[in-house]
Amino acid sequence: MDAFLASKRQFLDWLRHTAADTETFFPQPLGEASFQFARVRPDSPLRLEDWDSGTPREAFRASANPVPPGKLLSPPGETLFRFRRDPDGRLEFFPVLDDAPRIIAGIRPCDLHAIHLLDGIQSAGVPDPHYLSRRGHTTLIAHDCLQPCDEHCFCDAVGALRQRQGADLFLTPMEDGLLVEVLSEKGAALVEGAGFSPCGDREARLAWAEGQRARPFGRPLPASPEAIAGILAGSGASPVWREHSERCFSCGTCNLVCPTCYCFDVSDDIDLAAPAEGRRCRTWDGCMLPDFAQVAGGHDFRPGTAARQHHRVARKFQYLPRQMATGSHCVGCGRCGHQCTVDIDIYDIVKDLVERAGP
Amino acid sequence: MKPRIAFFDMASCEGCQLALLDCEDIFLDLLELVDIVEFREALSETSPRIDIAFIEGSIHREMDADRLRGIRARSRLLVALGACACNGNVQARSNLYSPAGNLGAVYGPGDRDRVQTDPEWWPLWAHTRVRPLRELVRVDYELRGCPMVKEEFLHLLKRLLLGSLPHTAAHAVCVECKQQGNECVFERGETCMGQITWAGCHAICISHGYRCDGCRGLLPDANLAAHRALMRARGLSEETIEDRYRLFCSHEIDRGRP
Repeated sequence: MDAFLASKRQFLDWLRHTAADTETFFPQPLGEASFQFARVRPDSPLRLEDWDSGTPREAFRASANPVPPGKLLSPPGETLFRFRRDPDGRLEFFPVLDDAPRIIAGIRPCDLHAIHLLDGIQSAGVPDPHYLSRRGHTTLIAHDCLQPCDEHCFCDAVGALRQRQGADLFLTPMEDGLLVEVLSEKGAALVEGAGFSPCGDREARLAWAEGQRARPFGRPLPASPEAIAGILAGSGASPVWREHSERCFSCGTCNLVCPTCYCFDVSDDIDLAAPAEGRRCRTWDGCMLPDFAQVAGGHDFRPGTAARQHHRVARKFQYLPRQMATGSHCVGCGRCGHQCTVDIDIYDIVKDLVERAGP
Repeated sequence: MKPRIAFFDMASCEGCQLALLDCEDIFLDLLELVDIVEFREALSETSPRIDIAFIEGSIHREMDADRLRGIRARSRLLVALGACACNGNVQARSNLYSPAGNLGAVYGPGDRDRVQTDPEWWPLWAHTRVRPLRELVRVDYELRGCPMVKEEFLHLLKRLLLGSLPHTAAHAVCVECKQQGNECVFERGETCMGQITWAGCHAICISHGYRCDGCRGLLPDANLAAHRALMRARGLSEETIEDRYRLFCSHEIDRGRP
């Protein structure tokens, strides 16, 4: 597929131009020290500075972005279908699918990797039509990271840094601008007429970028994701779980900010003006929340924060990787550790487990 | 026959009933489905039988406790409306002091002495503690918050009309804060009670640039020890921490809950 060269200004002007036609999201400042994937408006403050070397605090950092870009494909609350009971008592159902075209740009490899893993999960078994409809109508513009976002990053240790699959356009920072690689038909259609210059030396440029990449990249883990899965399998009785959850609030933040968490709860809502009509809705849920594993009759499969912490980490490093035959489902973005107000970091938990398991 | 619902107020600012009147966009739909049989803010009638009684306010005097028991006896379902009815709200802080001491602090020594010597005034101090409804009668549902949240009221009412109670997950405010896409209050160097407070408010205070002060009450498993340690680590004095907890959750702190 094609490759182009564009200056940063050229790319951002093109993105603003594209956003006038298609709902487009790009990382923008949130509050005092955070970021959100917000709609691109004509006056939106779009920055690309962080794609160079160095990581100034004002540059986009995945760990400081509480709602990862993939959550645009599974919003916090959505209607799954509407229902109506007709006068004869028969129920009718009306599907609700979101097929609005969207562009999400400014995605880092960790978050792209997360979307790629979610694509697998939402397509397997009973496919999730709501996720897949949004996903099918969404164009992803991702970019390479030559420097880690910040001290929370450990994407390379869990195999997420080199992610390209799933992106429609993939950008790599160059000395003289950006290398824009087209990775799909959707990407080719989007970039057509953008006025970027064709690039004839893609391989040489990629090699240059590789040479610029920080080494080591982010925090290292003392074992491979595969070895970690093995260690986790025998870790149920480890004191690590208690030690890393005594200060846990069960607030669910680690789940809700995780780019690969996708659990939800389902409820019905009826229309007060027409009680025979209503809608079935779902909202985000999370396995660290106290009643997540509670069933009818009040039994709780995972009482206490230690049992829930074990489950959360095992989902990322053991259960899903084995079930889906993929690598780690933790993508090393550092969000859970950064957003936790008492600094419970999945990186620390895993590192602790590996070190105590011995050589 | 339409379900008969009624509203009552005990010690409160009546702000929850005001929040209810703010549901004007759906009020006509509501009146199609229910009969409002008692509502001091809007009607003068009373009713011998009530299907759903909504009670705002905390209980201070024995005469209020008797009134509450009377409402319970003629109601099929009883709902505590707002923070005063659910957890005693700010007035529960007065439980730390003697009733006469409180009266003196507010009205001066003359009234403090008279309330203890004049039998006409005795009912004014004839209570020992501010109590939420559940300490006196069976409460079927608690609509938390100061004031209560109108969407939550509507959700409850719809469920009750369908013959069930809504499931209220014991979620912290953080859950709704993340749903709202807010920056965490701690990220801007401030402190917040969101981690230990019942959700249901859609994190309204944080979404508007403030912090959570815990008006919806402490979660049943609130990790208060960890929260206290965090507040200390963020530089708050013991006195400030105590004040923050006691603003809305004084009764729960005193009850050893959690």
